[in-house]
Amino acid sequence: MQASRARLFKEYKEVQREKTADPDITLVCDDTNIFKWTALIKGPSETPYDGGVFQLAFAVPEQYPLQPPQVRFLTKIFHPNVHFKTGEICLDILKNAWSPAWTLQSVCRAIIALMAHPEPDSPLNCDSGNLLRSGDVRGFNSMAKMYTRLAAMPKKG
Amino acid sequence: MEKQEEINSNPGADWENFRDDDIMLQHSAIRDEQAHKILFLGDKEPLSALAAEYQSGSSILLEKIKLLDEKYCAIRRTRGDGNCFFRSFMFSYLEHILETQDKAEIDRVKVNVEECRKTLQSLGYADFTFEDFFALFLEQLESVVQGADASISHDELVERSRDQSISDYVVMFFRFVTSGEIRKRSEFFEPFILGLTNATVDQFCKSSVEPMGEESDHVHITALSDALGVPVRVVYLDNSSCDTGGVSVNHHDFVPCSLSNDGSSGLEINPYITLLYRPGHYDILYPK
Repeated sequence: MQASRARLFKEYKEVQREKTADPDITLVCDDTNIFKWTALIKGPSETPYDGGVFQLAFAVPEQYPLQPPQVRFLTKIFHPNVHFKTGEICLDILKNAWSPAWTLQSVCRAIIALMAHPEPDSPLNCDSGNLLRSGDVRGFNSMAKMYTRLAAMPKKG
Repeated sequence: MEKQEEINSNPGADWENFRDDDIMLQHSAIRDEQAHKILFLGDKEPLSALAAEYQSGSSILLEKIKLLDEKYCAIRRTRGDGNCFFRSFMFSYLEHILETQDKAEIDRVKVNVEECRKTLQSLGYADFTFEDFFALFLEQLESVVQGADASISHDELVERSRDQSISDYVVMFFRFVTSGEIRKRSEFFEPFILGLTNATVDQFCKSSVEPMGEESDHVHITALSDALGVPVRVVYLDNSSCDTGGVSVNHHDFVPCSLSNDGSSGLEINPYITLLYRPGHYDILYPK
């Protein structure tokens, strides 16, 4: 508990120091609980998520950093490796390939990379995975873009 | 199809909402249950305890254990949680320092630890990701030196090695050191890694070295032994036998490159860490 708190505090300081280094990621710690964080990440360019801003919720376990944080999309997203209802993410580093060498910041970067390079063979969202697996890139892009517009872009006016 | 129906008709389970998190929770529940059965580190046991395991099994193994009995007096088991090599190494090394009070060795290994720190920094690891693990290992190293306020007894060393918050942090320290060494000398390690998996050096370190619970192979042992400059003997206990019918117990010495390259190759190196390898698992062996 003490160890995880100390580590998270170091990450907090690092995030403050590097605020401008990664303009695509804004990581914010909860005011009252250092085990709760949220992040805003920008959809990568040349993907159907371009122009969208996606919110992630982090719940950090007491055994952190020996155990991975739990991360979910709060913003609705159409992506093969994200559960459409719960926002759960299928990413190896959040499960068995986690190590303390990762940080909350580098997890955000890994999630942005996953947005740009979906893994349709291990889908949490089967509809989305099936579109890509059957080669219907256009269909996938238009669905993903529609949800980006509906859920991840500020409403006009 | 039948199986599908069986799962769906299971009244107690809500499969619709059974997610990865739940699976992980279940995994850790199973691990906790196992934890009560086997400690991270067991007590010292005579080799007869090892023989008892195979009483109704392979005669080759029983013969080999008889041979082991000539050279070794005891075994200390570690939990088979994928960290057994690192945990065996940790206890064996600290126990050796505690018993010998070898100050020169402490000074020597500290230089290597600082070298490992620089390696990780030059590879681009942020200090805060590994420094807690380094600090905890150095703290254990200091504490086995007797005569200071923070000194610990042998019993306390055993206790600490069973305490997850210390034991796992030291295991993680070794994982960082191992990963750093493999990446630093990636050209050397690449062919060995290609022999094990299809992964690149980088992928191998990320998926098979740094995560807790990933099992160790000769690549890990070579890298850790080289990085810290600590020789390791691994004694193999398996079902193999020679064509001539005779049974012998093989061992392999991992000699760090710093010791094998400095012209002292005429000297016989006697590793003070001896591990017993049975396919898939490492325990600690005590020579007579």
